[in-house]
Amino acid sequence: MTTRSVLHMLSPRPQVSPFDINMAVDAGFDMIFPHANVEPNQVHGLTQDIIFSRGPSGVKKTAIFIGGRDIGIALDMMETIRKAMQPPFEVSVIADPSGAFTTATALVALVEKQLKEHHHLELKDTRAIVFGGTGPVGISTAVIASLAGADVTIVDHLSLDTAMQIAEEYNRRCGCNIKGTFASSGASKAWLVARTDIIFNCTKAGIQVLDEEILETAKKLKVVGDVNAVPPAGIEGVKFKDSGAPLLTAPNSPGAVSVGPLAVGNIKYMLQNAMLKDLLLKDKPVYFDFREAFTRARKLV
Amino acid sequence: MEKPYILHMLTTEKNLSPFDVNMAQDAGWQVTMPYVHVDADEVRALIQDAIFSRGPAGVKRTAIFIGGRDPEMAIKMLISAQEAMFPPFEIPVLADPSGAFTTAAAMVAAAEKKLDEKFSLQLPGRNILILAGTGPVGQIAAVLCAKAGARVTIFGRRQEKARRVADLCNVFFGEGKLDIRGEGNDALSDHLPTADVVFATGAAGIQLLDKEQVVLARQLKIAVDVNAVPPSGIAGIDNFANGTPIEGSPSGAVGIGALAIGNLKYKTHHRLLRLMRETDKAVYLHYDQAFTTAREITLSPR
Repeated sequence: MTTRSVLHMLSPRPQVSPFDINMAVDAGFDMIFPHANVEPNQVHGLTQDIIFSRGPSGVKKTAIFIGGRDIGIALDMMETIRKAMQPPFEVSVIADPSGAFTTATALVALVEKQLKEHHHLELKDTRAIVFGGTGPVGISTAVIASLAGADVTIVDHLSLDTAMQIAEEYNRRCGCNIKGTFASSGASKAWLVARTDIIFNCTKAGIQVLDEEILETAKKLKVVGDVNAVPPAGIEGVKFKDSGAPLLTAPNSPGAVSVGPLAVGNIKYMLQNAMLKDLLLKDKPVYFDFREAFTRARKLV
Repeated sequence: MEKPYILHMLTTEKNLSPFDVNMAQDAGWQVTMPYVHVDADEVRALIQDAIFSRGPAGVKRTAIFIGGRDPEMAIKMLISAQEAMFPPFEIPVLADPSGAFTTAAAMVAAAEKKLDEKFSLQLPGRNILILAGTGPVGQIAAVLCAKAGARVTIFGRRQEKARRVADLCNVFFGEGKLDIRGEGNDALSDHLPTADVVFATGAAGIQLLDKEQVVLARQLKIAVDVNAVPPSGIAGIDNFANGTPIEGSPSGAVGIGALAIGNLKYKTHHRLLRLMRETDKAVYLHYDQAFTTAREITLSPR
């Protein structure tokens, strides 16, 4: 009998996400095993239990998925897992908490592409703001864009402290250079929008963060990207299928273009599917986080 | 590669029932994924996660099973699941907590069949007693009988609890349209002389109706007992009874035992699981569809 492929799916949350389980099944894993409510101090033991029971050929058919909602916890789990490996007893690992790494890399790669095509600019030439910047997708977006050279500010809708604290935490973890601020009123949003080249919207579904009135203040806007798939659009004027369409709601930034949620979703799906499939293809174990995702997303777009 | 069939199996309990997992595998669900300790307010997010990641072709090969112990909770979760769908991303859902929906459906369908076969009678207007009827199977058997037009009384050790359960059946499951009664066991001897059908849905190994009480039931036609562990829940019905005369019954009543019910329950459960796999539509299945299915099976057994 051939050795069946096994994916152990770890989550600190009460449930492993059915979204990720479906993706893993469709990527061809023979056996999916969920481990919910995983505590940080269990990760080392679980990893060693996973690597030691199938022999050297078995580990090649075994992998670990890290889910949950919190990207800090996921990155910590990844590090613990890496340290628990005992080569040649070592398996491939992928982290994609809340799907944030694949969603954010798809978003940043698509925005970067439009920036090049429509404005002949690189991310390093730009100032970017991230609404919903303190949630999983927002943080990941900020980290990736900052590492690519953009001057990034994350925006919390309530608290300056939260934004500053998260910026500091992820600068320390990931070696990026994010700033934090908050904007609860239209006026404070307008102030930010007036000075930015790029807007990423990563807020909760179904909330309009920027309306036409605020967007009118945008003077130098180049590209906006919105991951919200539930109407109304997070950024007014962004349409579901946009992929470089003119943003007509920003009349003082002629040439501004938009990337909509379907374009992001398609790339995200392809990315996650391809990375899951590749976990068992390489001869050596791989560790996939947002860095690998971004390299691939750039190629995909 | 064709997309595998995935059944996401939700339960409020700390374990999923291995019975249900086996059933799902045997009905062709290749991946049976457990979600335990599920809170009712988690259902919406879980459903939306489940429907959005496989595309339209994958949606046709994905479904939800709701287990747990409590019929009321299972129906509430079924409604939440239905409300969380986002057409065309919509998948079938089956609720069968503790197997109670399919078991109750099998009991009532089997009784209905024998009532017609042996006595040329139908459910409407019959007096039906559900012994130890406050549990999941008893509740749903009561609801199905009452919906079919029978006069139903649930019996329990405590009258107060039996009435509370009867209220739940009338108001929640019956949407205010049913009139099921609840009584304590001390009132049983008053009701036995006019009973047409008796269901025993108690815990295994407890006798709910003894020989003398069978004699009291002087117009009894059908008695159904799901208890498979001796002593039998109703005196004179063994596991293999399937329309078998009950010794000592003054009215020539027949009994239906645990194996006949179990067999019909199994077929009903299997058919509902297959229906979810084969249908192109989103269907929301509970005790009503289980009863329709069990009736179809009793009419044309294969």
